[in-house]
Amino acid sequence: MTSATTLPPRVTEERATQRILGWIALPAGIALLVLVGSLLSEQFLTTRNLTNVLINMSLVGIIVVGMTFVFIVRGLADLSVPAMVAIGALLALGLQPSLGSIPAALVGILAASAAGLVNGVLIGYSKLNPVITTLATGTIVLGIAQASVGGVIVYGNDPQLQSLLTGRIFFGIPTIVLIFLAVALGGHLLLGRTTFGRWVYAAGSNPQATKASAVPLDFTKAVAFWMTATLAGFSGVLLGLTLQTARPGIGTGYEFDAITAVVVGGVSLLGGFGNIPRAIGGLLLVTLLSNIMVLNGIPTQSQGLVMGALIAGAVALDVYLRRRGGAA
Amino acid sequence: MNSLKRVFENPAVLTLIHYRVIVILAATLILAVSFVPGLTEFRTLSLSLDRTATLGLVAVGLTVVLLMGKLDLSVGSTLALSGIATIGLQAQLGPTGAALVGLLVGVLAGVLNGFLVVVLQINSLVATLASMIFLRALCHFLTDSNPVSGEDPLFGLTVTRSLGGTFSPRTYVFLIAIVLLFVWLTYTVAGRHLYAVGSNEDSATASGIRSSRYVFGAFVFSGLTAGAAGVMQSLATNTGSPVFGETVALTAIAAVVIGGTRLEGGRGSALGTLGGVLVLAAITTTLEYESVPTYYQNIVTGSILLLLILLDRIASNSPRSALSLTSLLPSRNSERVPTQ
Repeated sequence: MTSATTLPPRVTEERATQRILGWIALPAGIALLVLVGSLLSEQFLTTRNLTNVLINMSLVGIIVVGMTFVFIVRGLADLSVPAMVAIGALLALGLQPSLGSIPAALVGILAASAAGLVNGVLIGYSKLNPVITTLATGTIVLGIAQASVGGVIVYGNDPQLQSLLTGRIFFGIPTIVLIFLAVALGGHLLLGRTTFGRWVYAAGSNPQATKASAVPLDFTKAVAFWMTATLAGFSGVLLGLTLQTARPGIGTGYEFDAITAVVVGGVSLLGGFGNIPRAIGGLLLVTLLSNIMVLNGIPTQSQGLVMGALIAGAVALDVYLRRRGGAA
Repeated sequence: MNSLKRVFENPAVLTLIHYRVIVILAATLILAVSFVPGLTEFRTLSLSLDRTATLGLVAVGLTVVLLMGKLDLSVGSTLALSGIATIGLQAQLGPTGAALVGLLVGVLAGVLNGFLVVVLQINSLVATLASMIFLRALCHFLTDSNPVSGEDPLFGLTVTRSLGGTFSPRTYVFLIAIVLLFVWLTYTVAGRHLYAVGSNEDSATASGIRSSRYVFGAFVFSGLTAGAAGVMQSLATNTGSPVFGETVALTAIAAVVIGGTRLEGGRGSALGTLGGVLVLAAITTTLEYESVPTYYQNIVTGSILLLLILLDRIASNSPRSALSLTSLLPSRNSERVPTQ
């Protein structure tokens, strides 16, 4: 084996135009959407609508932070997200009468976290395929979550906590958005400023070299999956508390929403590249697009025509730019 | 830890692990027969098989895609779309013509996936996620999110009614598809090439196999079987619904993996998939008969899936083979992640 074929390119010689295109594509897209949105609908640029956009972003956004780690560490994707959202929401509401709101919420997060630990051990240490493993654990966890509350829709009874979460305590910004921003900031600092963050990038860009450099590859991968599950459980708890009702299918689609945001943000599925702001930018783009379509009377179910094309287009562009740049 | 290792190196245990699909199938079948009275009667068996046929047919197509180390998440949307075409076009084209259009829709969906994966070099997980979302939205767009019903309810009945006291036509379609897949994978050159491309796309290309054509073909085949499943399901229910098949992709992947096919590609068989589909069918039949809630079924199915991939991991000789990311990288540089 020659070094030319076994080593991934570590240094990328990109042309300046391509680097600039890669950097401004996302902000430009968001700016364009804001422009188009405000031209198409008068309600778009109102504080109320933009606050709604932020609220809609927040719950998926918390999961996106975890999913970004999974992508960068070259863990493919975590398909157990819906189950983690569901177990968080179901337990947080189902245990409310017996434990009280806050302990019930904690139990919900802990349950998802424990399941994430299983994911992490199986994928990181046992080296199972992430897609099929998270599919299996997701099926099991969803079953356990439903069994633990008797397989019915559960209702919460804590309007105070609900109004605290949806209420605006700080310059009119809803609490739930603040929580999301805190999680995103934490994730960004963890990925960009710590040793662990460097491990994540290293593990994703060149597993062999990373292992040879005594970086705990298995641990890094395991933590990425554990984090995603925990954050998904946390998001599920918040979702349950804001709705004060939870059904088993409450988390359906969250995994694909999160993957869509991360992919549109230009985070590479091949690992080693991307950051939290990009992923959040992708999420913002997707949410704005969806909001504009709703304001113009396009039903949610048919929006996939645009979303599907957007995902394929974003990734195709990414692949094309990288090939031209010689990166992948 | 050492004693555990010795257990797994025991020849008897290794044999059991090697034939794990048969072991788990026998176990679930024995369980099913002992819990469900009359399952051995031909009529009950035929009915159980009839219910599995749709899932089974989707699994046949997915076997080939997974063999190539790719994924196809879009089969559920394809199933729904071809079902809508089959029912919605009956007025214009007649039942047979509409059914043919339904099959064509499946093929076209496969071509779309093949284009995204082979030509645009998009990773199959993301590419088929995009087409899954796109085609599902197309279903809702075309039908205004309402199910469409057919002109002639009697036409569809032939699909589920058993032929001369044996199996229903859709069971036959499934079984014939399994046999054809078996012959294709085992006895033809094209089948051997499939394994070659699935194990290592670049080596296959270097050996003169047109790898990208096989990958493209695999997606078209998977689209065709999903389309056929959609045609049969919509005819049987005389309905084309935009919500058909929303969970079928993941269940079918589970069935194929239970049957011993690996997501990394290069390993798998038609009979294994038949086994995987039957395992799931036996579990569903038993637990439904005992009126166990669906969520317990989920726990059982998920556990079996997890157990089998763990056993597969133990059984595989090279300890790092599950790490192989060959399937994930664009064809040009997949060799940059050697497994050993």
